[in-house]
Amino acid sequence: MAKKPAAAADKGRKPAKTEEREELLQAVILADSFETRFTPFTLERPRCLLPLANVPLIEYTLEFLANAKVDEVYVYCAAHTEQVEEYIHKSKWSTTTPKSLSPFKSLELIRSTSRSMGDAMRDLDKRDILTNDFIVVYGDVIANIAMQPALDAHRARREKDKNAIMTMVLREAELGHRTRAMGVEPIWMIDPSKNRVLHYEQITGDPDHIARVEPEVLDCPELIVHTDLIDCGIDICTPDALALWSDNFDFQAPRRNYLYSVLKDYDLNGKTIHTHIINQGYAARVRNLRTYDAVTRDVLERWAYPICPDTNLLRSQSYRYQRGCMYKEQNVMLARTCVVGRHSVLGEGTRIGDGSVVESSVLGRKCEVGKNVTIENSFIWGDVVIGDGSVIRRAVIANGVVIGKGCTILPGALLSYGVRIADGVIVRAERRITTTKRRRHDEDSAPAEKGSPDAEIVGRNGDGFEYHDSEDEDEDLPGLKGTGLVYSDATFAVSIDSISSFNDFDDEESDLEDRPKRTRSAGSSFLSIASDDSHDAGMARDFHHEAANSLLDGLQRGDLAANMALELSALRLSTNASEHQVRRAVVSAFMKRIVQLVEGGGSIAQTAKEVLTPCESLISRTMFDRGDESSEKPDQHDFLLLLQQDLSHRKDGDLIFLHVLKNLVALDVVEAEGALQWFEDEKSREGDDMLRIREKATELVEYLNEEESSGEEESEEDED
Amino acid sequence: MPGAMNSATPDLPYFLKALKSRDVEPCIELLADLLKRRQIRTPRLCALATTHLLRRVLADFRGANADELLLRIRSVGRRLIAATPREMVVGNMVRRVLALIREVAEGAILGSDRSVSDEGLDGDSERDGDSEAEKQESRNHSPVRHRPNLSSGISTFSPLKHGATEPASMVPPKAEGELPGTYTPLPIRPSLQTALTQVSTIAPTAQQMFGLFTQPEIDDDPSGVDSPALQSVKSSGRPENFTEVPLKDIKAEVLESVREILDELESVDQEIALYALDHIHADEIILTYTASLTVQNFLLTAARKRKFTVIHVEGYPNESASTVTTIFGGRPQEFNEELELADEPFKPLTAAGITVIMIPDAAVFALMSRVNKVILATHTVLANGGLVAAAGAGNIVKAAKVHQTPVVVLSGVYKLSPIYPFDNDELIEWGDAGVVERYSDQEIVQKLKVFNPLYDYITPDLIDLYITNLGGHAPSYLYKIVMDHYDIKDVNLED
Repeated sequence: MAKKPAAAADKGRKPAKTEEREELLQAVILADSFETRFTPFTLERPRCLLPLANVPLIEYTLEFLANAKVDEVYVYCAAHTEQVEEYIHKSKWSTTTPKSLSPFKSLELIRSTSRSMGDAMRDLDKRDILTNDFIVVYGDVIANIAMQPALDAHRARREKDKNAIMTMVLREAELGHRTRAMGVEPIWMIDPSKNRVLHYEQITGDPDHIARVEPEVLDCPELIVHTDLIDCGIDICTPDALALWSDNFDFQAPRRNYLYSVLKDYDLNGKTIHTHIINQGYAARVRNLRTYDAVTRDVLERWAYPICPDTNLLRSQSYRYQRGCMYKEQNVMLARTCVVGRHSVLGEGTRIGDGSVVESSVLGRKCEVGKNVTIENSFIWGDVVIGDGSVIRRAVIANGVVIGKGCTILPGALLSYGVRIADGVIVRAERRITTTKRRRHDEDSAPAEKGSPDAEIVGRNGDGFEYHDSEDEDEDLPGLKGTGLVYSDATFAVSIDSISSFNDFDDEESDLEDRPKRTRSAGSSFLSIASDDSHDAGMARDFHHEAANSLLDGLQRGDLAANMALELSALRLSTNASEHQVRRAVVSAFMKRIVQLVEGGGSIAQTAKEVLTPCESLISRTMFDRGDESSEKPDQHDFLLLLQQDLSHRKDGDLIFLHVLKNLVALDVVEAEGALQWFEDEKSREGDDMLRIREKATELVEYLNEEESSGEEESEEDED
Repeated sequence: MPGAMNSATPDLPYFLKALKSRDVEPCIELLADLLKRRQIRTPRLCALATTHLLRRVLADFRGANADELLLRIRSVGRRLIAATPREMVVGNMVRRVLALIREVAEGAILGSDRSVSDEGLDGDSERDGDSEAEKQESRNHSPVRHRPNLSSGISTFSPLKHGATEPASMVPPKAEGELPGTYTPLPIRPSLQTALTQVSTIAPTAQQMFGLFTQPEIDDDPSGVDSPALQSVKSSGRPENFTEVPLKDIKAEVLESVREILDELESVDQEIALYALDHIHADEIILTYTASLTVQNFLLTAARKRKFTVIHVEGYPNESASTVTTIFGGRPQEFNEELELADEPFKPLTAAGITVIMIPDAAVFALMSRVNKVILATHTVLANGGLVAAAGAGNIVKAAKVHQTPVVVLSGVYKLSPIYPFDNDELIEWGDAGVVERYSDQEIVQKLKVFNPLYDYITPDLIDLYITNLGGHAPSYLYKIVMDHYDIKDVNLED
């Protein structure tokens, strides 16, 4: 009986047969997850077009939506919009041509410049296109579940209670399940009578972590605490849920911020959020490389049946499941003596030479594998040439990569598009090699820039260099341990406890995490980060993100310093950020601006002056010890330290620092004592980069020092 | 994955509705997608969907001649088959429609020659004058038969018949022994008996394949079935192509014939059930496997007159849910759509006063000695008489063989495929591992490789009798029905 209304709904204009509202089912695909888990690949391709078992991720998502009889789909893109657009336009899903074969009534792309999930949701709310209850999925969901039961349950709840604004679809899976996102384990407290979520929290494996549960939650007569759920990222939302995003402009992450806060503020807003837990069928998200690996295995081992390679989701494919549990397309040439192990995928035109061994790996189309090559647990996307005698273990190799003879690619290595590895090179574990320089966020439209090859890494005649996370992403590094491909190695073998201590900070984190710098430079225990209160840290990150961005915007527009200061203090008050955080945001914004201008061809001295002078009042307001009688200047000291840290990994950081410091002193924003105290601080000497900056500034500080002492003398004389 | 794929996803009614409102191309894509996603799953639903689609394709086709139409249907068929190569009924339906077009087109060519076709008609009536089975067939084909030009079309199949009957005369008559001796004597119509004896003598596949892929020369010793009149028609040869046949001449007739296929699909269970009383006797113990409407109807028909006991094998993991539902009188998901189409209430066996015992799969062998007859439903029947049936059926027929228990397979003609099982692995679909083991268990997922074959391939020697809507046949006789319904030119749809 559930079928009829659904079928009728699909017909759209058909008059209602039942009391249930007949309406178009809408869905939003968040094609960009605002993360950097798949760098360096995502430098060139949007994440939703990365292939999983040789099929772009978004195909699976669209398939899932088609399965759920969705009528209207909105694909929400941020990065690489053109590529997504082009792909969708050419695919069978496109509804632009009148003779479209798409199962959807309409499929629209929304371009946006959002930087986080929160922005995206607020943007969607503004656009006012989603009029009914709708499904929100990420562009990397792979699922074969039927949505109808969840939708029915959701609608039934809505009938009764307008405040049931959201239903999340969750899949049961034990702790430690390979398809779960490691690192951060969500806890769900659910009232089973209504499937209502009462409390949600992410724990990070820290033994001291205490879930702070509101006392009212415990009033519920029955309460189930779940830790055994995969969050598949499939939500059924109402327009009210979107409005709530808009009301809370500081929310960034859908779970950690939004869900947590909405549940906490139940007394305030009265909105309830529900779950639909499934224990049959398959649903998972490809959140990071580790789950990429796991989901691929699930698909190949037919846990997601009928979503498997031999279903040939792409019309051009011709996979067949053959003896030996191997998926093979037409025109695959296997040498007589080569061995292809179980759960491998071989794309069309792939050739494997004599004596080569391929074990549970995915090879795309037109891969040329030489003789005596060993490929284990790897993902090779297509058009890849692998020279004789090479060994590849647990690596991801993108399209167009050429690997010479006798190379060894160690576990966790990622070779991005077009990388060439010369003969006999050993690529170290977890190394990420790319040929493309990272694009700055604000230059999305600019074509990707090619970097110069680093012979030490790729050998002579090779192409590519090691990819480093730049300042925005370096905070991710510890998390990568838990999210990278390598997990069944030593790190994994220890125990689940130790695994979860790698602070993943979950997928939905934005890039900016307010984490002490020492974690990177000193490589100290990750546990120290894990002990941060995840919620507070989250708030801080949000603040930093917002503040730095709005300041940078202001600087670019040339806003009045007073206006920017007002905005900043408003933001600070609303998030209760500390002065240190304010300083950090200010430093980050100003330095970004200066670097931008310098890269645009300005001289450093001139730029520093031009940027800093008009904003003197703004900067000085971040330090409250100026003109203080006490000789301790902790604020200025802190400011300079942040400045140094920020510049330590920027190009020409030392020079910029020198000029900025000079200007700050000239503007009397930083006093000589502050500079001195910074100079003497141990922390300013940590790491090479920091030291370099410090040295450059030595002269200036010494000069200041002299002036200071003379000044003091003078003042003493004056007093006399 | 029966649990998760419930009726809420797009299904056959959805498709049929779409077929009315959308263009042909999107409909082809839609069906290909639905088949890919296994949203239209059971053979009969697949057959219905395919035939409805082909009818739409036919109706919308704007070509000049019959050859173009054949090409069009072939290309549509290829797309559908590529979507679900192991759901053979899709291919069957495509090939049947192709054969129909050929038949009608040949009729149109030969139609001018009245006398020939008249003779053909005579031959036909002479031929099937005696048997009830043939009557059944002729009922099925009646509109075709009674159109003069068509009957001559049928007669042009005769070279194939000869190709197949030829070996019969060569093989020594030890054949009688091969007729299942263990088999409880069936009240088979005399003519069928002869057909059985005649054909079951054929050595397995090799000879038949020979017959399939070569265009045999005219036989000088047709063993009695065909009348001389037919030979004369056949010797005139078959037209190689139909570029001469204008589409408008044949379209209406082809559409009519396709509609008959649809009628056949809808009535097939009832037709098979007509034979129930011939095969099920009082106080017998019948073992059956999988929840199938065909078997259910068959047993219910017998239950009206006789009391017997049914042992239903559980069929874990793929079949157990629907088996239990059927036994307890519910309607398993799989039946819903079929029943909806048939517009019939579902009645459990127990309501008809039949004792139904459900046994675990492991108990099959132990109980087989007490079973009088095994009645199986099948997924597909292959041209060699082998079958592709739900995984676990292989186990049952082997046990039946050991205990000399007769195995009867119920299958509509639409499930009969002209394909020979050259590669058994290719026939088997591997299903969802999640129904075998819990996906939520991390150790299982990490450490175990779980395989869940959905089908077993069963060789023809393990089957004693097929009951189709045309009657009962020995496995070795099936090739003849294949010949009657398909054209060898269409066995391979690739260009």
